[in-house]
Amino acid sequence: MNAPARATRSRYVAPIPAFADAFTAARSSLPGKEAPAIQDWRQLHFDRFLETGLPTPRVEQWKYTNIARAANVPMALATRPNVGLGDVQRYFTGGPLARRLIFVNGHLASELSHVRGLPQGVRVESLGKLLQDEPEWSARALGGPAEPHSFADLNAAFLQSGAWIELGDGAVLEHPLQLLFLTVGQPAAVMAHPRIVVRLGKEARLHLIETHIGLAPGHCLTNLVGHYELGEKARLTHDRLQLGSAGTSFVGLNRQRLAERAELKQTLATLGGALVRNETDLHLVGSFVEAQLNGVYMPIGEEHVDNVIRIHHEAPDGHSDQFYKGVMDDRAHAAFAGKIIVHQDAQRTNAFQRNDNLLLSDDAEISSKPELEIYADDVKCSHGATCGELDRTALFYLRSRGLDRAQAESILTFAFAAEVIERFVDPAVRKLARECLVARTPGGAGLSDLL
Amino acid sequence: MATALETVQDYAAKAYKYGFSTAIESDMAPKGLNEDIVRLISAKKNDPEWLAEWRLEAFRRWLTMEEPTWQKVHYPPIDYQDVHYYAAPKIKERPKSLDEIDPEIRSTYDKLGIPIKEQEILAGVAVDYVWDSVSVATTFRAKLHELGIIFCSISEAVHDHPELVRKYLGSVVPAGDNFFAALNAAVFTDGSFVYVPKGVRCPMELSTYFRINEMNTGQFERTLIIADEGSYVSYLEGCTAPQRDENQLHAAVVELIAHDDAEIKYSTVQNWYPGNAEGKGGIYNFVTKRGACRGKRSKISWTQVETGSAITWKYPSCILQGDDSVGEFYSVAVTNNAQQADTGTKMIHIGKRTRSRIVSKGISAGRADQTYRGLVRMQKGAEGARNHTQCDSMLIGDKCGAHTVPYIEIKNRTAQAEHEATTSKISDDQLFYCRSRGIAEEDAVALIVNGFCREVMNELPMEFAVEARKLLGISLEGSVG
Repeated sequence: MNAPARATRSRYVAPIPAFADAFTAARSSLPGKEAPAIQDWRQLHFDRFLETGLPTPRVEQWKYTNIARAANVPMALATRPNVGLGDVQRYFTGGPLARRLIFVNGHLASELSHVRGLPQGVRVESLGKLLQDEPEWSARALGGPAEPHSFADLNAAFLQSGAWIELGDGAVLEHPLQLLFLTVGQPAAVMAHPRIVVRLGKEARLHLIETHIGLAPGHCLTNLVGHYELGEKARLTHDRLQLGSAGTSFVGLNRQRLAERAELKQTLATLGGALVRNETDLHLVGSFVEAQLNGVYMPIGEEHVDNVIRIHHEAPDGHSDQFYKGVMDDRAHAAFAGKIIVHQDAQRTNAFQRNDNLLLSDDAEISSKPELEIYADDVKCSHGATCGELDRTALFYLRSRGLDRAQAESILTFAFAAEVIERFVDPAVRKLARECLVARTPGGAGLSDLL
Repeated sequence: MATALETVQDYAAKAYKYGFSTAIESDMAPKGLNEDIVRLISAKKNDPEWLAEWRLEAFRRWLTMEEPTWQKVHYPPIDYQDVHYYAAPKIKERPKSLDEIDPEIRSTYDKLGIPIKEQEILAGVAVDYVWDSVSVATTFRAKLHELGIIFCSISEAVHDHPELVRKYLGSVVPAGDNFFAALNAAVFTDGSFVYVPKGVRCPMELSTYFRINEMNTGQFERTLIIADEGSYVSYLEGCTAPQRDENQLHAAVVELIAHDDAEIKYSTVQNWYPGNAEGKGGIYNFVTKRGACRGKRSKISWTQVETGSAITWKYPSCILQGDDSVGEFYSVAVTNNAQQADTGTKMIHIGKRTRSRIVSKGISAGRADQTYRGLVRMQKGAEGARNHTQCDSMLIGDKCGAHTVPYIEIKNRTAQAEHEATTSKISDDQLFYCRSRGIAEEDAVALIVNGFCREVMNELPMEFAVEARKLLGISLEGSVG
């Protein structure tokens, strides 16, 4: 991420004044409004957001996603509509003993949430409450500005809620913790800015489920920032499911830092949302780290999905694996940019990356950019990217077994994407993802007995 | 036993074999670039009016352009006013025969190992020699003439075949295409021109040899090759420069046009002076090369062996317009010491069932940095198009870098693209195996590296394959034997 220097200033567009209006309007209602520490912290980031502006496709990182067009529109902070237990229950995952924080349009719905009875050393807090109750500590803990990032800065300025998850050394949360983000479309264009902070101490273990569900269509932008710190030998399993509804957009930036022998297994499925962008900035700062990133995206209609991944191997003997698959139908457009950066000290790194894509329609598009940047010599790095139609021989095989063409195509398309879905650790997430996948597969109705 | 790293370091002490300069009188334009210099070049070259205008137009465009910064190379800003844009060996008139060529130039080419006479008789390669900016001699012209093949310097072509030059010049790389292409269009002084008429298979390899001799000069040559329906031509290009402390700029443009069923094979062995071990001096090789497969079933194949230049920055590309046309790109790039290379290709699939194949092998040693940057784009109409890309990098030593930046953009359902890339070092197992069979370490490394590059080397014409293998050896001498 390069700071937009003077010469490249023109690649960013200045934010429209509506942002400043929204900021002024929201200041008095955002958590931590009385505390100067939080006020300053917000102002600092907002000023930088104004300074940086919004990226246009001329910025390399945003080459395939015109976010300025989608985000540089007047938006107010989303209000909290009423959502009952009946509306959300079907999205509960992680089993009966899972703990859950539920957010509606970026506001914590504490009456639906359940995080009590946590074991020793495990702390799960509402970030909004922390900003309100412990402003000085929060401002310090959330940290000052790193390098500028339009959306991360915007998130800090408008930060309203989120989760603070901290596991001390050796702490283990046996059952999954679900963060359920619900977006309920509203007549006017709105935005929400939640944040997730996860800190795992030495040998701590957490299974985090992050689900983003669109309950009603409408223009709503969710701008999520995630900070993940994994201590020595810590283990994080992270299942992420994105089921946005029509008109809802999502921009997410995840920054992860993994210490020695830490393990991360993340699986991400994007199965809905007008515009979804997931940016991942993964740093392997300790040696012998294992990181696995799985992803699947299946945009239909005019949806747009963009995955940007940067994996920094900063220490020796790290192992990273990216496995992303995409199926594009109708007029959908998907982009994948995965970059592996192996620093000079990161000898004996193993880094792999796969990106396979399937286009189902003549108007769908895929842009893939698998990238390697390597400064160490004793490494094994490889990447592969493919794009094409269904395998003719596989089709022929199925047809020779008596399936008609449409059935055979549905089965193969489903199987292509389902390979990633199977990597979800939580069975309920897997089931939910499979249902959405079937709904999006052409001729999927005939596949329901596969569920 | 010396490690691979130590032996690479040893090489730093070795001298650039082609680093001599020849004292011959030169006709030079004053330093700097402005409309007057462009006009002066036009006048020196006796340009027709349309070309003079074209140059000025390009120069005006260039003034409005920004030097690109997206490529992964670092160099101090170039002072474009500190370069001589025209330097010609002073010869009163164009020599009538090879014997009339200045003996000094002749002996320089002898030192380079390309005696003109010998080449003409023994090798059977028709060569166009470009000295600094001006084409010195073209061999075998008469014989080619019998077949209707035009092979001459581009300045001659401008006068002798204006209709062809005017039709095709700038049709693949427009004057305002990019910063360096615009600069080239404004000040290009010479280059080669090839026209192969319908149905003719050029019986010999055509070749150009480029050499920068003068200090503070830039070389801006322009090559234009047209293969008419059903024809075939294989073209070779080689380059060297004397050893100098300051950097010299080489901004060439190559345009290829293949009509129906025509095939152009373009091979380059680039060995410009790479600068010394500390990265002082050397050539900046900023070249725009592009081929257009205009016709059905046409084919353009780029093969390059890049061992020289302080900075290499080029992307030989294919625009696959005609249905069933084929584009190929084979590349070996070796960077050592402080060399930097950012090279790759673009394959733009427009026509139906177009196919492209990319094989890129990068070897990085010393403190060198190397990037493969490529684009494969399947346009909406590219039904059934196919691409396969393979780029492998090999790192020798722990201070070098190897990077891969491919862009894959697919807009057609039936198009298929595959990309694979690997990065590795010479494995200790492979070395140990060779050593245990009694092969000396240097030979073992040479064996492994040659195997690594074989796929590309096999694509080179015979005459070049030998030279390229030798160059590969010299470039990594010590580690590669």
